[in-house]
Amino acid sequence: MAEVTPNADENPWKKLNVAIQDADTLRQEAVEAHTEHLITEIETLEGPLATTLRAVYDGEGVDYFMEKLDARIKGHDHEIERMCNYHYQGFIDSIRELQQVSGDATKLKGEIQGLNRELKFSCDPLLSKGDELVKYRKIQKNVTLAIESLSLCLPVLEMYGKLQEQMKCKRYYPALKTLEQLEHTYLPRVLNHWFSQTMAEAIPRLRERIKDASMVELKDFLESIRKHSAKIGEVAMRHAAEQNNMDPSIAKKRVKTRRAPPPPNPFTGEVEDVAPSPPTNNSDKEEELSAQDLIDFSPVYRCLHIYSLLGDKEKFESYYRSQRWKQAWLSLQPPPNMHESLDLFKKYFHDIIGFFVVEDHILHTTQGLVTRSHMDELWEKTVEKLSATLRITWEKQMESFQEKKTNNNQVAENNNLEEMEIEEVTTGSDSPQFTFTLSSHLPHNKSCKLASLMLEVKKLIVLFCHTLKGYGFSVGRLLELLLEMRDRYSVILSDQWIDVFTDIFTEDNYTPILCDKPEDYVIICSQFPYTDKELDKSEYPRQFPFSQFVPSIYVQVKEYINACLKFSADLHLSHTEIDDMIRKSANQLLTKTLGACLSKLIKKPSLSLLQLIQISINMNYLEMSCEYLEEYISSLTGAEKDSVHIARLHGSSMFKDARSEAEQQIYQQLNLKIDEFLDLASYDWTISDSKGQASSYLMDLVVFLKSIFMSFTNLPVFHTSCSKYVEKVAKTACMSACQHIASRLMALMLDNEVKLLSMGAFHQFNLDVMQCEQFAASAPIPDSNDGTLQMAFTDLRQLLDLFINWDWSVYLADYGKQQSRYLRVPRHIAVSLLEKLNNGDKKKNNLFASLKKNERDKKRLIETVLKQLKVLENGAA
Amino acid sequence: MAKTYDYLFKLLLIGDSAVGKTCILFRFSEDAFNSTFISTIGIDFKIRTIELDGKKIKLQIWDTAGQERFRTITTAYYRGAMGIMLVYDITNEKSFDNIRTWIRNIEEHASKDVEKMMLGNKCDLTDRRQVSKDRGEQLAIEHGIKFMETSAKASINVEEAFFTLARDIKSKMDRKIDSSGQVSGKQGGGYQLKNENSQKKSFWKSCTLL
Repeated sequence: MAEVTPNADENPWKKLNVAIQDADTLRQEAVEAHTEHLITEIETLEGPLATTLRAVYDGEGVDYFMEKLDARIKGHDHEIERMCNYHYQGFIDSIRELQQVSGDATKLKGEIQGLNRELKFSCDPLLSKGDELVKYRKIQKNVTLAIESLSLCLPVLEMYGKLQEQMKCKRYYPALKTLEQLEHTYLPRVLNHWFSQTMAEAIPRLRERIKDASMVELKDFLESIRKHSAKIGEVAMRHAAEQNNMDPSIAKKRVKTRRAPPPPNPFTGEVEDVAPSPPTNNSDKEEELSAQDLIDFSPVYRCLHIYSLLGDKEKFESYYRSQRWKQAWLSLQPPPNMHESLDLFKKYFHDIIGFFVVEDHILHTTQGLVTRSHMDELWEKTVEKLSATLRITWEKQMESFQEKKTNNNQVAENNNLEEMEIEEVTTGSDSPQFTFTLSSHLPHNKSCKLASLMLEVKKLIVLFCHTLKGYGFSVGRLLELLLEMRDRYSVILSDQWIDVFTDIFTEDNYTPILCDKPEDYVIICSQFPYTDKELDKSEYPRQFPFSQFVPSIYVQVKEYINACLKFSADLHLSHTEIDDMIRKSANQLLTKTLGACLSKLIKKPSLSLLQLIQISINMNYLEMSCEYLEEYISSLTGAEKDSVHIARLHGSSMFKDARSEAEQQIYQQLNLKIDEFLDLASYDWTISDSKGQASSYLMDLVVFLKSIFMSFTNLPVFHTSCSKYVEKVAKTACMSACQHIASRLMALMLDNEVKLLSMGAFHQFNLDVMQCEQFAASAPIPDSNDGTLQMAFTDLRQLLDLFINWDWSVYLADYGKQQSRYLRVPRHIAVSLLEKLNNGDKKKNNLFASLKKNERDKKRLIETVLKQLKVLENGAA
Repeated sequence: MAKTYDYLFKLLLIGDSAVGKTCILFRFSEDAFNSTFISTIGIDFKIRTIELDGKKIKLQIWDTAGQERFRTITTAYYRGAMGIMLVYDITNEKSFDNIRTWIRNIEEHASKDVEKMMLGNKCDLTDRRQVSKDRGEQLAIEHGIKFMETSAKASINVEEAFFTLARDIKSKMDRKIDSSGQVSGKQGGGYQLKNENSQKKSFWKSCTLL
């Protein structure tokens, strides 16, 4: 409004009117422009008109606007009318054309429908043909596919069939190969088939089956080698025997049928004495088959192949080894009664050899199934076990031997128990018959059997060693065992010879051998080295100085030496070793065995004096024979006679000892007889007067002694060449008898039981002693009357003289002097007897109350003497 | 000195060589048997104590050599014998025939009242028998002596024979004691048999009764 005010100041109303007029025109123009603008906006604007309309309504020029707008609409209607007029003809033309097109279209539609129908009709067969074609094409494709599959599967199935076939035929190794192919080549090709799955599953099972089956075969094989190994061992042993020049029959087991003579069995023909006939050769050949030919080893190889193929070689190896070791161990277990029979020994050794022969074969034919070191290890164990077993067996043998021996002593008759066996044994080997010829009927048969069994077993062991040495095993320890066995052998032999000697002693009659015929004489001379030129010239009957047991013992000692020698055969010992061993054994036999037997014989109470004398004579001759024994040993062993005599025979000294023992026994026996007589003595020590003659027991004794010594020396009981020796023995015996009688008589008188003595008793006793003195003086042994025998009775004589002569003054006076008549009467004996005499008198005196002067004097004297004697005692003290 | 016996009887075994005298004695004294023949040389004896009616009797049995060459030695023993066993071998005719000779020997050398008995030994050897038992009996009856068949080997009748002989000797002695009217010996004193034959005295002396 400010603009307007300033205008009013200057010419307000004129200016105003002009301004108003200008303003109105300006406003008019603006409204018109604005309306124009809005209408254009409405026409061009496509969106909502609200804002425009608002702008319209907000302004004042609505009416104007309306007018303008109507004007505009009228302009536009005009335009439209003009346009329509302009385009109307074209429109009509177009309609007409459209009508024409519509007719044409209907026509065309009909045509097309017809055509369509036609086409449909003609296409139907084609379509069905096409479908068929598709179907056939599908079938064709399937057939091709099937053929392809089948051609793939058929070989697989064929293989499988083959496999089954092989399994059936137990050809496990090819079966395994087939299986391999099947698994690795064929089955992958048919993997998508269901049966391949089944097959694939079946393969491990089949493998197991093959394994099991081959294992079964192996087990059969193992069983069969166990069965055959004894046979193999036997054959191997026989070969070894032939190679070592030993008797092959050692190895052979006795065939039972051999005992039945006819008909000749082809298997035993060769062992019979008949010359080998053609059929036996056949059997020979059969027997000569090598050990390996007896057994089919293929199962082992097969099994080994199969297992190594299956990658289980180690398992198989260890199985095989452990099984074989088990077998070996089984073989090494001796049968419980092995010690009784050689056959069992043989079987035992055969078994072991068989085992090693088989192992050796396996070692050489397979690679690594058995190794040398493994074998050696087995051998080591075997030797150990074998040694132990043999030792135990010896123990058992000894035990049963001792047992049987005691049994035999009780029942001498049951010796035919196993005689059959023994005979068989002897026929088989060279000739240990010597033991049987002498004593087969005697109870100690058993020990013979044992010794010969040991000998046979030793041969077996030697052969066993040879055989296995041939297979490369070291047998040193077994040979050592043999040496040990040898010691036992000699022990058993010695035991056996105890019986031999005892029998010889029982059978002898202890009288000099008397030969009526030259034949008998020659026999004895051949048995025993005894030369006597006089005897050679003398008439028959000829008498040897010794009794039968001398040649018998000599022969038996030689036999023993032979038996010992037998054991050292084949042991590869040197001459010196053998010589040494035999001398040792012989010494053992002489000093221990024979010595003990002789000692036992001599102690036998039933022997008579004369038998004892004969025994001591015999000892002289046996002693002399010792040097011949030495020669005999040297000749056997080949050791030089003059070589170092380390082991001389101790026989001589033993026989000397035995002789002196026999002599002692003679004296003792005689003393025992004397004792028996003296036991009969019955003295009445209080007898008032003697009976006037000697006691009867003493007379008997003297007569007995006389006849004994007469038989000793005066009768041709002993050989004349021994008379010197017998005389010597008889002299000593006589001396010892006299001394014994004297001491016994003295003891009778001094007996403490005797309390009282009478002079009558002294006289009676004196008579008896006189008998003895007479006997001593009578020279019971010719040429021996030198007074020595009587000296035995000196003590008694002096004592009796002292009492009977009542010589007390002399006794007391000379007491202690060398020349005293009563030197041998000891004071205490004199005292004791005097006291007894005094007591006897006292009793008598009391009884009769005798007051006789003589008696009183005597009594006084006794008391004086007693006093004196006691003085002597004190003086001596 | 206390006596360990009541009686001492001396017996004598006679007969041919090898009839088994030593074996019989061995069987009786040791109850044993030895089959080897070892001829007796000269003379030997064994003592065995037996009990009879409660009395201890010592039997001193003399075993003589049967061989002729010892005859002088053996006959010396006849005198003292109180009982004599005549032994023959039933398997040996000759030994039986010789019994008569032996009896003559007894009559010649032994005291009159000696008790005798005849034994046919080896009766176990039936299959080798040569002398029947009846003949033995016959001969024994002829001489009025007892007879038995024995076997030392099989221990048949050996014991019986000796006991019989001992019993006979004892009863004969008891009879004599009775007839001579003496009941028993004094205490401590010996009793001496009175015999017709004075030279036999020394042998009988020991048969004292306590």
